[in-house]
Parts: sequence; structure tokens; C-alpha cells
Amino acid sequence: MSVVERRPAVYEGSRIPSPIPTALQVDPAKHAFEDILRINFGPNHPSTHGVLRLVVDLDGEMVAGLSAVIGYLHTGFEKTMEQKTWWKCITYPERIDYVSFQANEMAFVLAIEKLLEIDVPRKAIWMRMCLAEMTRIHSHLVWLGTSALELGAISLFWYTFDDRDATLDLFEMVCGTRMHTRYFQAGGLAEDIPEGFYEQARGWCKKMPKSIDEYEAILDKNAIWQKRTRGIGLLSADDAIALGQSGPVLRASGVDWDLRRDLPYLAYSEVDFNVPVLPEGDVYARYRIHMEEMRQSVRIVSQCLDRLEEMRGEPWISDDRKVVLPPREELHTSMESLIHHFKIVTEGYVVPEGEIYECVESPRGEFGVYVVSDGGPKPWRVKFRAPSFVALQATATCMTDAAIADMIAIVGSLDGVMGEVDR
Amino acid sequence: MKTTYDGVPGLVETVEAHDETTLVVDPARIVEACLHLRDGQGFNFLSDLTPTDYLGWGARGVSGYIGTAGGRDMHGPGTQGLARVPDPKPKRFAVNYHLLRLGADPVRVRVQAWLDDGEEIDTVVPVWPTADWFEREAWDMFGIVFRGHPNLVRILMEDDWEGHPLRKDYPIGGEPVRFSGEE
Amino acid sequence: MALARKLPLISDRPLAKAGLNSERVLMPNKGPGVFEEEIAGIEDALGITTVEKAVAWAQASSMWPDTFGLACCAIEMMSIVSSRYDIARFGMERFSSSPRQADLLIVSGRVTHKMSAPLRQVYDQMLEPKWVIAMGACASSGGMFNNYTVLQGVDKIVPVDVHVPGCPPRPEALVEGIVRLHEKIKAGVPPAYEIRGVAQ
Repeated sequence: MSVVERRPAVYEGSRIPSPIPTALQVDPAKHAFEDILRINFGPNHPSTHGVLRLVVDLDGEMVAGLSAVIGYLHTGFEKTMEQKTWWKCITYPERIDYVSFQANEMAFVLAIEKLLEIDVPRKAIWMRMCLAEMTRIHSHLVWLGTSALELGAISLFWYTFDDRDATLDLFEMVCGTRMHTRYFQAGGLAEDIPEGFYEQARGWCKKMPKSIDEYEAILDKNAIWQKRTRGIGLLSADDAIALGQSGPVLRASGVDWDLRRDLPYLAYSEVDFNVPVLPEGDVYARYRIHMEEMRQSVRIVSQCLDRLEEMRGEPWISDDRKVVLPPREELHTSMESLIHHFKIVTEGYVVPEGEIYECVESPRGEFGVYVVSDGGPKPWRVKFRAPSFVALQATATCMTDAAIADMIAIVGSLDGVMGEVDR
Repeated sequence: MKTTYDGVPGLVETVEAHDETTLVVDPARIVEACLHLRDGQGFNFLSDLTPTDYLGWGARGVSGYIGTAGGRDMHGPGTQGLARVPDPKPKRFAVNYHLLRLGADPVRVRVQAWLDDGEEIDTVVPVWPTADWFEREAWDMFGIVFRGHPNLVRILMEDDWEGHPLRKDYPIGGEPVRFSGEE
Repeated sequence: MALARKLPLISDRPLAKAGLNSERVLMPNKGPGVFEEEIAGIEDALGITTVEKAVAWAQASSMWPDTFGLACCAIEMMSIVSSRYDIARFGMERFSSSPRQADLLIVSGRVTHKMSAPLRQVYDQMLEPKWVIAMGACASSGGMFNNYTVLQGVDKIVPVDVHVPGCPPRPEALVEGIVRLHEKIKAGVPPAYEIRGVAQ
């Protein structure tokens, strides 16, 4: 990698590398070229959270240069979705960020509902919120298990995955399958909420805070964890905003921003929850934010359960027959229902012409969907703004003056899921 | 406080739809416009930078069978199942910048610049460093060149890939599947 | 396979009293399944000796998988290590990052053309005998993605022993795939690279 002529930084005090903001380049003033060893943290690596390739220039243990090569999981979601009808498209976004699958699905469904200008019954809104928060906890559990595993706290993997299985049991009860549930439809939910869900969910709400207490008891004051995470991977608030960070990374850098509270969607303005913010901007702050967010999510879930129990018997999906399949009993008696059913199953519903950018607060940050419709049965363009794509861009800034062992901690704390980086 | 966008350099028109504001901007003045929005109006956060390819837009009439919760307008054009063609677009590519004012008074806005095939546009990496990989992806997937970008190389496809996959004239690829009708 | 060889059924052992509800406990008169009969047939056809049986038993026990998690299936693959689905009972919880020490490559997730070169490299670095499980629809056939970038089935570049369907397969389904692989090995079926004739 040749040294490119240095240009001034973005603003005073910025640690963003220049000229390429997303790659560290070897500084000849600090490292002699003979000492540099270029290593490939290849796509197949136990600690890179999927197929990420980092090309690292090492001077002993210190990282002198870094650049990320992505694209090993580029599945062509956007182009494939242009070939499928809107109904079939809803299955695809789930696989983008495969750890918080319902958040992606929800963003897409919210986007097409906005274009369709369809009314969603409140039961569906509250259940979506409930499942979104459970997905947040699921995602944070997977993050905690894998990140702790990489830093050496191996037993945490088993604890968190056990709680994850309890969460997936709830998903299975409601949606029929553990992962990639495809439970949200344009207009509401695919099916009604089963009766046993409320009781099991309340039991889960009682158990989760105790589990979070356990994880904190293991990690919070642990000397090794503190040494490996405090003061590592610093990202200032201005740098975080300039680099487009969102979610826990942004909040751990001291910026008080949460889409659920500041630009509310669904019914987030009607529930009580706190948004944790910490000023340090290091790996330890990101870890603390994740733990605190899990607690707040449990709060939101119990509030949702309270409201949902009052809504028993209410409709779970809109009754606009142009978009939603009519109930089967109606097909025997109503000709229009039969025709609607036929049109929806064969051609699919059409979404009026327009473009929209809809975003949700996924566990990783701002997950945005940009949908362009030409008024036909298939999307014209779908673009997913993935928070991990943006978070990986911050790796170079966080890695200034870091050692190679810190790289694992930093890449883990940025919580990247390669499915959504590459789409 | 309603935000006004009259002072944006190079503004061609403002479109409001679905509670969203789209500022159509002349691509030659995109960096000025972005600096005005970032420094003058506080849009410090670039959420997304994405092009769209409108080749073939409106070539086939789409069904006017549009249902909304409020019912159908029986007198409006294109209803009753008649084929309706969407309004034509000015040029082939639209580069969309989704901006957010992050802070006490959050506002979203979309800046749109229209380009033809082969036209270049200036990079906004000096304005928002996060645009780096977004512009690389735009180059990789659409072939739009961003003048002044420090590292405009392929990001998602292999380094020696030919063609730009998300263009409308690029085939979907894959293998033919037996016994499967259309999608 | 146990049934075909007339080994004592699980129902004869105390686990049934502890409440194990496996199929063979609930239906004690169940005969061997199609798969088991086929395996028994292959056994007779190939004529395996006791030493080979012992070697096959050793290979099937404690087969170390390689950490080749690519996408969503990787999360379900990680959950078979967790306490509920526990592949440590097969001795397989030691996922080896180094292909030199791995026996089993569980390709979990969609393989893109860009990733197929590293995949083949990892497969080549594994030492014989080695097995491949294509986990999930994407690894088996390209899944729901039939486009310019996803390899339509990983068996185009590596020889696959067991395909596990699902999107993603439940952890139990993956464990069943692993169990079938073990039974294949113990029956004496050679690894896929010998059958398929793929250059090594």
C-alpha cells in the first residue's frame, strides 16, 4: 500500500484517517517500512463475525495500517427483490441482518404500508413492537455471547445462547419458526397471537433481568475484561456523527440519539423506556450500553404484554381486501372476496407509485429501507441502509494506535453482521 | 419550526410526498448544496447515499388497480384496471442523499441529483466521511463515477468483475430452474 | 442402522424409564427405516471387515468441525454447541479454526462467487479423511437466491456428503444430519471425494 499524500483532516480534533476515511495507512514517521508485516485476517476467521477480511499492516503488535475487504457475502438482495412480487419480497429482508431478522422485516413492511397508505390495527402495532424488542434482546444476546467468546470469556457463550433459546421458543410459539419468522404482513400480522404466549412471555420477562444480572456479575468488574475493553477503540462524538454511526456505537460516544424516542414509529411514543448514553466512547461503554438496552427492552415488552392482553379478540390485520387475503370462510359466500383472493395470490397487490425512506432502530442502529415503486406488482428499487456497513467504516478511526489484540475487541464491539454489510 | 430550503444552492425543485421532502439539486453544485445543508441548516448526518436506475421506467403500463384504505377514486385516471403509465423521469440515474438533522429538532430530507449514463458527480466524502463506502458501492453497482473520491474501487463484487450488476440492463443471472413457472 | 443390525433397542435401556420419548421407545415394534435398510445393504455389498469397522467408529466419534459459518445458518450452527442441543455428546464441540485440524466442513450459509475461492482453499487444506455437510437451502442449492452472485449449491466446488434442508434448519435438523453422517461412516460409505471423483 503506497503512502498517499496526506490531506488535512475533516475538522479540528478529528481522528478520522485521511485521505481515505475508512482505511489506516502506514505513517512513515512512526513505522519503518522494513518492520511492517502485512497479514490477512481472512474471510474465514473465528473472530471476525462472519466473512470479513481485514488486511492489516503490523509493526510488532501495533497496527500500523488497516483496510477492510468486504463483499464475500454479497447476495444481491436488492436485484433479486426487483424480480419478486411485493408479498414474496417480505421474506428477503430478514436474511440481511440475520441476527435481528424481525427488525429488517419490519422496516420493509412499514415502508410499503406507508406507500399503500393502509391502516394497521393497533394489536398488530403493539405486537410488532413487542417482537421488535424481543429481537433486540436476541441480537444483544448473540452479540454478547460471541464477543465475550472472542475475548476469552468462553462460558458466557453457553449462558447467552441458553437465554436465546428461550427467546426463540417464544418466537416459535407465535410465528411458527425460530429464525426468519416472516410474521409481518403488509397490513398487520400473519396470524393471531396464540393464547399461551402471554403467560410464557411474562415468565420470560421475569427471568431475563436475572440473567442480565448474571452476565454483569461475570463481566462488569472482571479485571481481564476491564483491561481489554476500557480505553480501547475510542470514538469521539463528532467522529461518530461524521462517520454516520447509529445505535449503541453512537450512544456510547455520548450522542443522545435513539430513533424510537426521537422520531417514533409504531407505538414507541406510548411506552416508557430510558435510552442509555455514555460519554467514554470505548469498547466498555458499548458493552454497558448493550446490557442496559436489554433491560429497557424487557421493560418495553412487559408494557406491550399488558396492552396486548386487553386487545384479545381484536383484528390482527387490516381488512383492506386489495392487499390482505380475506378470511377463508368469506370465500364461500362472497364473490368479491373470491376475486380479491385470486388477484392477490396470482398477481399480488400493487403498491402505488412513489419513493420512501423508512428506518427503524434495529439493534445495530439505524436500519433504513429506501423503496421506489412504479405502481406495479414488483418493486422498482429497494435499498437497505445497513448500520453494520457504516459501523465497519469506523474501524479505521477506532484502531488508531491500537494493538492487534484490541482489533478483535473493537470489531466485536462495533457489532457488525456481514449479511447486512454485503447484502 | 418548519424548515425552508430556499437557500440551497443549485435547487431545481422541491417535492413533498408521504411526509417526506425531496430536494432536486443540480449535480454540478451538489457539494455546495451539501455544505449549505450541513453547515447552514444543521444536517450533520448522512443516513444513506444510493442511486436508482430508471432505465425502462414506464415502458410497460402498470395496472391501475390501486387499492387504498379509503377506497378507489372512480373518476381518477388509471383506475378500473386500465393500464396506466407512470410519469417519465428527467434522466436515467437519480443519486439520492438521505440526510438527517441529528439533535433536538430532528428533520429528514432527501437530496436528489439526476445524471445520465456516463455523467460524473462530485464526491461528498469531504462533507460527510461516511459517504466513502456508499459511493464505492454506487460505483460498483451502477457505474456512477464520483470525481475526487480517494479510493473508487470495487467493494462488493470481485476486483476484476465486469459490468455493474444493479443496472437495469444487467441480467439477474443465476441458473434456470426446471419445472418453475415465472416468479 | 442399529435396527438393521439387530442391536438391542433403546427401549431395553433405562432411558425409557426416565421419560425419553424417542420414536423407537414409543413404537418398539418399528422395523428399520428405509435409510437404515439401504445402509445395511451397502454394508453387505462392500464387505467391511472388523478393522475397518473400528476405524470407521473412531472417525465418526469426535469429528471436529471447521468454523465455516457464513450467514444465518451459522447462528443455528452455533446453537448446536449450546447446552440445549449439545453436540458435545458427540465430541464435536471443539470447532477448529484451523482447517488442518478439522475433519468436517459444515458449509452454513450462502456461498458467493467471491467466497468460493476461500472455501475451496479451506477444503483443500483439510487432511483426509474429511467430510462436508451442506447446511441449509443456500449451501445445498443456492436457496432463495438465484442470481449473478450466489453459487447455486456448494456441491459445485466441494463434494458434499450430507445436505441438510431448511432455511435455516433447526438445530435438531442439523444434529440429524450429523447423526446420519456418522451412520454413513460407520456403515463404511467412503467420504464424498472418493465417490464423486472430485480432484483433491
